[in-house]
Amino acid sequence: MRKHDTTGEYAIPNVDAGVASRPDELPMDSDAFAGFYQRSAPALRAYLVRVSGNPALADDLMQESYLRFLCASRPEGGEVTYRRYLFRIATNLLRDHWRRPRAACLEDVPEQFLAARDGLARIDSQAILDPAMARLRPRERQLLWLAHAEGYSHREISDITGLSAAGIRLLLFRARRKIARLLRKQIDADRRRA
Amino acid sequence: MTFRTCSYENELAQALKHGHWPEGCGPELRAHVDACGSCSDLVLVTQTFQHARSESERTAVCGSPGLLWWRAQLRRRNAATERVSRPITIAQIFALFVYVFVGVVFVASQYRHGLHWASWWSELVPPRVVHFLPIGSGQVDWNLLLLISGCGVLALLSGLVVYLASEKS
Repeated sequence: MRKHDTTGEYAIPNVDAGVASRPDELPMDSDAFAGFYQRSAPALRAYLVRVSGNPALADDLMQESYLRFLCASRPEGGEVTYRRYLFRIATNLLRDHWRRPRAACLEDVPEQFLAARDGLARIDSQAILDPAMARLRPRERQLLWLAHAEGYSHREISDITGLSAAGIRLLLFRARRKIARLLRKQIDADRRRA
Repeated sequence: MTFRTCSYENELAQALKHGHWPEGCGPELRAHVDACGSCSDLVLVTQTFQHARSESERTAVCGSPGLLWWRAQLRRRNAATERVSRPITIAQIFALFVYVFVGVVFVASQYRHGLHWASWWSELVPPRVVHFLPIGSGQVDWNLLLLISGCGVLALLSGLVVYLASEKS
Protein backbone atom coordinates (compact mmCIF):
# COMPACT_ATOMS: atom_id res chain seq x y z
CA MET A 1 0.00 0.00 0.00
CA ARG A 2 2.90 2.33 0.75
CA LYS A 3 4.18 3.92 -2.38
CA HIS A 4 7.61 4.98 -1.25
CA ASP A 5 10.50 3.54 0.63
CA THR A 6 10.08 3.62 4.37
CA THR A 7 13.57 4.36 5.59
CA GLY A 8 12.87 7.09 8.04
CA GLU A 9 13.05 10.51 6.48
CA TYR A 10 12.28 9.35 2.95
CA ALA A 11 9.79 12.02 2.11
CA ILE A 12 11.10 14.83 4.21
CA PRO A 13 12.64 17.50 2.03
CA ASN A 14 16.37 17.64 2.17
CA VAL A 15 17.69 20.85 3.60
CA ASP A 16 20.62 20.80 1.23
CA ALA A 17 18.47 20.23 -1.81
CA GLY A 18 17.18 23.74 -2.05
CA VAL A 19 20.15 25.74 -0.91
CA ALA A 20 20.46 28.65 -3.24
CA SER A 21 23.68 30.17 -4.46
CA ARG A 22 23.42 32.73 -1.71
CA PRO A 23 22.84 30.86 1.51
CA ASP A 24 21.26 33.79 3.33
CA GLU A 25 18.44 34.06 0.79
CA LEU A 26 15.18 32.27 1.49
CA PRO A 27 12.76 31.62 -1.36
CA MET A 28 9.85 33.30 0.45
CA ASP A 29 10.24 36.78 1.88
CA SER A 30 9.63 37.51 5.54
CA ASP A 31 6.28 39.26 5.14
CA ALA A 32 4.91 36.62 2.80
CA PHE A 33 5.95 33.93 5.24
CA ALA A 34 4.37 35.76 8.18
CA GLY A 35 1.07 35.92 6.30
CA PHE A 36 1.25 32.28 5.28
CA TYR A 37 2.13 31.30 8.83
CA GLN A 38 -0.81 33.18 10.32
CA ARG A 39 -3.19 31.48 7.92
CA SER A 40 -1.80 27.95 8.11
CA ALA A 41 -0.36 27.52 11.62
CA PRO A 42 -3.65 27.07 13.54
CA ALA A 43 -4.82 24.35 11.15
CA LEU A 44 -1.48 22.59 11.22
CA ARG A 45 -1.31 22.71 15.01
CA ALA A 46 -4.86 21.39 15.29
CA TYR A 47 -3.91 18.48 13.02
CA LEU A 48 -0.76 17.67 14.98
CA VAL A 49 -2.46 17.96 18.36
CA ARG A 50 -5.35 15.73 17.31
CA VAL A 51 -3.20 13.08 15.69
CA SER A 52 -0.40 12.99 18.25
CA GLY A 53 -2.61 13.63 21.28
CA ASN A 54 0.24 15.65 22.76
CA PRO A 55 0.20 19.48 22.51
CA ALA A 56 3.87 19.88 23.49
CA LEU A 57 4.96 17.43 20.82
CA ALA A 58 2.63 19.13 18.37
CA ASP A 59 4.29 22.50 19.03
CA ASP A 60 7.76 21.03 18.48
CA LEU A 61 6.75 19.29 15.29
CA MET A 62 4.99 22.37 14.03
CA GLN A 63 8.12 24.49 14.43
CA GLU A 64 10.24 21.84 12.75
CA SER A 65 7.71 21.58 9.92
CA TYR A 66 7.94 25.29 9.20
CA LEU A 67 11.74 25.25 9.41
CA ARG A 68 11.95 22.42 6.89
CA PHE A 69 9.36 24.11 4.75
CA LEU A 70 11.44 27.28 4.65
CA CYS A 71 14.75 25.52 4.08
CA ALA A 72 13.61 23.11 1.38
CA SER A 73 12.90 23.78 -2.25
CA ARG A 74 9.15 23.83 -2.42
CA PRO A 75 6.97 22.60 -5.28
CA GLU A 76 5.59 25.05 -7.80
CA GLY A 77 2.17 26.40 -6.99
CA GLY A 78 0.33 28.74 -4.74
CA GLU A 79 -0.68 28.67 -1.14
CA VAL A 80 -2.88 25.60 -1.49
CA THR A 81 0.12 23.60 -2.71
CA TYR A 82 2.35 25.05 -0.02
CA ARG A 83 -0.20 24.13 2.61
CA ARG A 84 -0.46 20.56 1.41
CA TYR A 85 3.32 20.34 1.29
CA LEU A 86 3.49 21.59 4.87
CA PHE A 87 1.04 18.91 5.97
CA ARG A 88 3.17 16.34 4.22
CA ILE A 89 6.26 17.45 6.10
CA ALA A 90 4.34 17.38 9.39
CA THR A 91 2.94 13.93 8.64
CA ASN A 92 6.39 12.55 7.95
CA LEU A 93 7.85 14.16 11.05
CA LEU A 94 5.08 12.63 13.08
CA ARG A 95 5.73 9.24 11.56
CA ASP A 96 9.46 9.54 12.20
CA HIS A 97 8.75 10.53 15.77
CA TRP A 98 6.65 7.43 16.38
CA ARG A 99 9.27 5.23 14.82
CA ARG A 100 12.32 6.65 16.53
CA PRO A 101 11.98 6.30 20.31
CA ARG A 102 10.80 2.76 20.71
CA ALA A 103 11.48 1.50 17.19
CA ALA A 104 7.77 0.84 17.02
CA CYS A 105 5.51 1.00 14.03
CA LEU A 106 3.04 3.85 13.91
CA GLU A 107 0.14 1.48 14.34
CA ASP A 108 1.67 -0.27 17.35
CA VAL A 109 1.74 2.71 19.66
CA PRO A 110 -0.41 1.96 22.70
CA GLU A 111 -3.57 3.99 22.69
CA GLN A 112 -3.25 5.15 26.30
CA PHE A 113 -0.28 7.29 25.23
CA LEU A 114 -2.42 9.00 22.70
CA ALA A 115 -5.28 10.31 24.78
CA ALA A 116 -5.75 14.01 24.23
CA ARG A 117 -4.15 16.08 26.96
CA ASP A 118 -4.75 19.53 25.56
CA GLY A 119 -5.06 22.20 28.20
CA LEU A 120 -7.67 24.05 26.19
CA ALA A 121 -11.17 24.37 27.52
CA ARG A 122 -13.21 21.56 26.10
CA ILE A 123 -16.37 22.12 24.22
CA ASP A 124 -19.06 19.55 23.62
CA SER A 125 -17.68 18.30 20.31
CA GLN A 126 -14.23 17.89 21.80
CA ALA A 127 -15.60 16.12 24.83
CA ILE A 128 -17.24 13.68 22.46
CA LEU A 129 -14.46 13.51 19.89
CA ASP A 130 -11.43 13.16 22.16
CA PRO A 131 -12.37 9.84 23.78
CA ALA A 132 -13.31 8.43 20.40
CA MET A 133 -10.05 9.64 18.82
CA ALA A 134 -8.06 8.12 21.66
CA ARG A 135 -9.42 4.71 20.70
CA LEU A 136 -8.31 4.98 17.09
CA ARG A 137 -4.94 4.17 15.64
CA PRO A 138 -2.70 7.12 14.72
CA ARG A 139 -3.01 6.29 11.04
CA GLU A 140 -6.80 6.34 11.30
CA ARG A 141 -6.72 9.66 13.12
CA GLN A 142 -4.48 11.12 10.43
CA LEU A 143 -6.72 10.02 7.61
CA LEU A 144 -9.93 11.10 9.31
CA TRP A 145 -8.57 14.51 10.20
CA LEU A 146 -7.17 15.16 6.75
CA ALA A 147 -10.37 14.02 5.04
CA HIS A 148 -13.05 15.42 7.31
CA ALA A 149 -11.45 18.36 9.12
CA GLU A 150 -9.16 19.61 6.35
CA GLY A 151 -11.40 18.45 3.52
CA TYR A 152 -8.63 16.89 1.45
CA SER A 153 -9.47 14.49 -1.37
CA HIS A 154 -8.11 10.94 -1.49
CA ARG A 155 -5.48 12.01 -4.00
CA GLU A 156 -4.35 14.90 -1.82
CA ILE A 157 -4.19 12.64 1.24
CA SER A 158 -2.17 10.25 -0.87
CA ASP A 159 0.31 13.05 -1.60
CA ILE A 160 0.52 13.93 2.07
CA THR A 161 0.76 10.48 3.61
CA GLY A 162 2.47 8.49 0.87
CA LEU A 163 -0.28 5.87 0.84
CA SER A 164 -2.05 4.81 -2.32
CA ALA A 165 -5.38 6.47 -3.07
CA ALA A 166 -7.15 3.10 -3.26
CA GLY A 167 -5.79 2.10 0.13
CA ILE A 168 -6.85 5.41 1.60
CA ARG A 169 -10.40 4.88 0.38
CA LEU A 170 -10.65 1.57 2.19
CA LEU A 171 -8.86 2.71 5.35
CA LEU A 172 -10.99 5.82 5.52
CA PHE A 173 -14.19 3.86 5.08
CA ARG A 174 -13.28 1.57 7.96
CA ALA A 175 -12.04 4.38 10.19
CA ARG A 176 -15.18 6.40 9.56
CA ARG A 177 -17.44 3.52 10.51
CA LYS A 178 -15.37 2.89 13.60
CA ILE A 179 -15.37 6.47 14.83
CA ALA A 180 -19.04 6.96 13.98
CA ARG A 181 -19.86 3.98 16.18
CA LEU A 182 -17.70 5.37 18.97
CA LEU A 183 -19.20 8.85 18.63
CA ARG A 184 -22.76 7.51 18.78
CA LYS A 185 -21.87 5.50 21.86
CA GLN A 186 -20.37 8.58 23.46
CA ILE A 187 -23.39 10.73 22.58
CA ASP A 188 -25.76 8.12 24.03
CA ALA A 189 -23.69 7.93 27.22
CA ASP A 190 -23.72 11.72 27.56
CA ARG A 191 -27.47 11.81 27.04
CA ARG A 192 -28.00 9.16 29.70
CA ARG A 193 -25.83 11.09 32.13
CA ALA A 194 -27.74 14.29 31.38
CA MET B 1 -16.58 -5.43 7.13
CA THR B 2 -18.10 -4.89 3.70
CA PHE B 3 -16.68 -2.01 1.68
CA ARG B 4 -19.47 -0.44 -0.32
CA THR B 5 -19.84 3.12 -1.44
CA CYS B 6 -23.08 5.00 -1.64
CA SER B 7 -23.96 6.82 -4.84
CA TYR B 8 -24.85 9.94 -2.83
CA GLU B 9 -21.56 10.03 -0.97
CA ASN B 10 -19.71 12.44 -3.26
CA GLU B 11 -22.63 14.85 -3.43
CA LEU B 12 -23.02 14.74 0.32
CA ALA B 13 -19.28 15.16 0.93
CA GLN B 14 -19.24 18.26 -1.28
CA ALA B 15 -22.25 19.70 0.51
CA LEU B 16 -20.60 19.12 3.87
CA LYS B 17 -17.27 20.54 2.71
CA HIS B 18 -18.84 23.76 1.48
CA GLY B 19 -21.22 24.13 4.41
CA HIS B 20 -24.36 23.53 2.37
CA TRP B 21 -25.63 20.71 4.58
CA PRO B 22 -28.47 20.50 5.48
CA GLU B 23 -30.17 23.75 4.44
CA GLY B 24 -28.61 23.88 0.98
CA CYS B 25 -29.54 20.30 0.08
CA GLY B 26 -32.69 18.92 -1.45
CA PRO B 27 -35.27 16.83 0.41
CA GLU B 28 -34.23 13.74 -1.54
CA LEU B 29 -30.68 13.86 -0.20
CA ARG B 30 -31.86 14.56 3.33
CA ALA B 31 -34.26 11.64 3.20
CA HIS B 32 -31.50 9.44 1.89
CA VAL B 33 -29.13 10.41 4.70
CA ASP B 34 -31.80 9.49 7.25
CA ALA B 35 -32.06 6.03 5.73
CA CYS B 36 -28.42 5.35 4.73
CA GLY B 37 -26.01 4.29 7.45
CA SER B 38 -22.90 5.17 5.49
CA CYS B 39 -24.11 8.68 4.70
CA SER B 40 -25.31 9.34 8.24
CA ASP B 41 -21.84 8.27 9.42
CA LEU B 42 -20.33 10.72 6.96
CA VAL B 43 -22.49 13.57 8.23
CA LEU B 44 -21.81 12.81 11.89
CA VAL B 45 -18.05 12.42 11.46
CA THR B 46 -17.57 15.40 9.16
CA GLN B 47 -19.60 17.78 11.28
CA THR B 48 -17.83 16.67 14.46
CA PHE B 49 -14.40 17.07 12.90
CA GLN B 50 -15.23 20.43 11.33
CA HIS B 51 -16.49 21.70 14.67
CA ALA B 52 -13.38 20.42 16.46
CA ARG B 53 -11.13 22.00 13.83
CA SER B 54 -12.76 25.41 14.06
CA GLU B 55 -12.54 25.32 17.86
CA SER B 56 -8.90 24.23 17.78
CA GLU B 57 -8.05 26.98 15.34
CA ARG B 58 -9.87 29.57 17.40
CA THR B 59 -8.04 28.70 20.59
CA ALA B 60 -4.62 27.86 19.10
CA VAL B 61 -1.68 29.94 20.32
CA CYS B 62 1.10 29.81 17.75
CA GLY B 63 4.61 31.16 18.05
CA SER B 64 6.19 34.09 16.27
CA PRO B 65 6.84 33.70 12.53
CA GLY B 66 9.82 36.06 12.87
CA LEU B 67 11.63 33.66 15.14
CA LEU B 68 11.02 30.78 12.76
CA TRP B 69 12.24 32.92 9.89
CA TRP B 70 15.45 33.72 11.72
CA ARG B 71 16.02 30.07 12.66
CA ALA B 72 15.43 29.00 9.07
CA GLN B 73 18.03 31.50 7.85
CA LEU B 74 20.50 30.19 10.39
CA ARG B 75 19.84 26.61 9.38
CA ARG B 76 20.31 27.38 5.70
CA ARG B 77 23.59 29.13 6.37
CA ASN B 78 24.84 26.21 8.41
CA ALA B 79 23.77 23.78 5.69
CA ALA B 80 25.55 25.86 3.03
CA THR B 81 28.70 26.09 5.12
CA GLU B 82 28.68 22.35 5.71
CA ARG B 83 28.17 21.72 2.02
CA VAL B 84 31.12 23.91 1.07
CA SER B 85 33.48 22.45 3.66
CA ARG B 86 32.63 18.80 2.96
CA PRO B 87 34.93 18.35 -0.12
CA ILE B 88 37.79 20.00 1.72
CA THR B 89 37.39 17.61 4.62
CA ILE B 90 37.26 14.63 2.25
CA ALA B 91 40.42 15.82 0.46
CA GLN B 92 42.20 16.30 3.77
CA ILE B 93 41.26 12.82 4.96
CA PHE B 94 42.38 11.32 1.68
CA ALA B 95 45.71 13.18 1.77
CA LEU B 96 46.24 12.06 5.35
CA PHE B 97 45.69 8.42 4.38
CA VAL B 98 48.12 8.73 1.48
CA TYR B 99 50.81 10.28 3.68
CA VAL B 100 50.34 7.65 6.36
CA PHE B 101 50.68 4.99 3.70
CA VAL B 102 53.85 6.57 2.30
CA GLY B 103 55.24 6.87 5.81
CA VAL B 104 54.60 3.21 6.53
CA VAL B 105 56.23 2.19 3.26
CA PHE B 106 59.22 4.40 4.04
CA VAL B 107 59.67 2.99 7.53
CA ALA B 108 59.29 -0.56 6.24
CA SER B 109 61.85 -0.01 3.50
CA GLN B 110 64.34 1.51 5.96
CA TYR B 111 63.84 -1.21 8.53
CA ARG B 112 66.14 -3.54 6.63
CA HIS B 113 69.05 -1.11 7.11
CA GLY B 114 68.97 -1.77 10.84
CA LEU B 115 70.76 0.78 13.01
CA HIS B 116 72.22 2.48 9.94
CA TRP B 117 68.77 3.21 8.56
CA ALA B 118 69.69 6.75 7.52
CA SER B 119 73.04 5.88 5.97
CA TRP B 120 71.93 6.87 2.51
CA TRP B 121 71.40 10.44 3.72
CA SER B 122 75.13 11.11 4.00
CA GLU B 123 75.52 10.63 0.26
CA LEU B 124 72.68 12.94 -0.46
CA VAL B 125 74.28 16.09 0.97
CA PRO B 126 77.88 17.40 0.77
CA PRO B 127 80.31 15.71 3.22
CA ARG B 128 80.98 18.93 5.17
CA VAL B 129 77.27 19.26 5.92
CA VAL B 130 77.05 15.60 6.90
CA HIS B 131 79.83 16.24 9.39
CA PHE B 132 77.45 18.41 11.44
CA LEU B 133 74.44 16.11 11.13
CA PRO B 134 73.82 13.39 13.74
CA ILE B 135 73.29 10.65 11.13
CA GLY B 136 75.43 7.94 9.76
CA SER B 137 77.02 7.67 6.36
CA GLY B 138 76.52 5.25 3.52
CA GLN B 139 75.32 4.92 -0.03
CA VAL B 140 72.35 6.92 -1.29
CA ASP B 141 69.34 4.80 -2.22
CA TRP B 142 68.24 6.84 -5.22
CA ASN B 143 65.41 4.48 -6.00
CA LEU B 144 63.95 5.02 -2.59
CA LEU B 145 64.42 8.76 -2.83
CA LEU B 146 62.62 8.83 -6.13
CA LEU B 147 59.91 6.62 -4.72
CA ILE B 148 59.30 8.95 -1.79
CA SER B 149 59.33 12.03 -3.98
CA GLY B 150 56.96 10.37 -6.41
CA CYS B 151 54.62 9.31 -3.63
CA GLY B 152 54.62 12.81 -2.18
CA VAL B 153 53.77 14.39 -5.51
CA LEU B 154 51.16 11.72 -6.12
CA ALA B 155 49.56 12.36 -2.73
CA LEU B 156 49.42 16.09 -3.32
CA LEU B 157 47.96 15.68 -6.78
CA SER B 158 45.49 13.05 -5.58
CA GLY B 159 44.23 15.33 -2.86
CA LEU B 160 43.87 18.15 -5.33
CA VAL B 161 42.02 15.96 -7.83
CA VAL B 162 39.65 14.61 -5.20
CA TYR B 163 38.99 18.12 -3.93
CA LEU B 164 38.25 19.46 -7.39
CA ALA B 165 36.08 16.46 -8.29
CA SER B 166 34.05 16.78 -5.10
CA GLU B 167 33.58 20.48 -5.58
CA LYS B 168 32.45 19.96 -9.15
CA SER B 169 29.91 17.29 -8.19
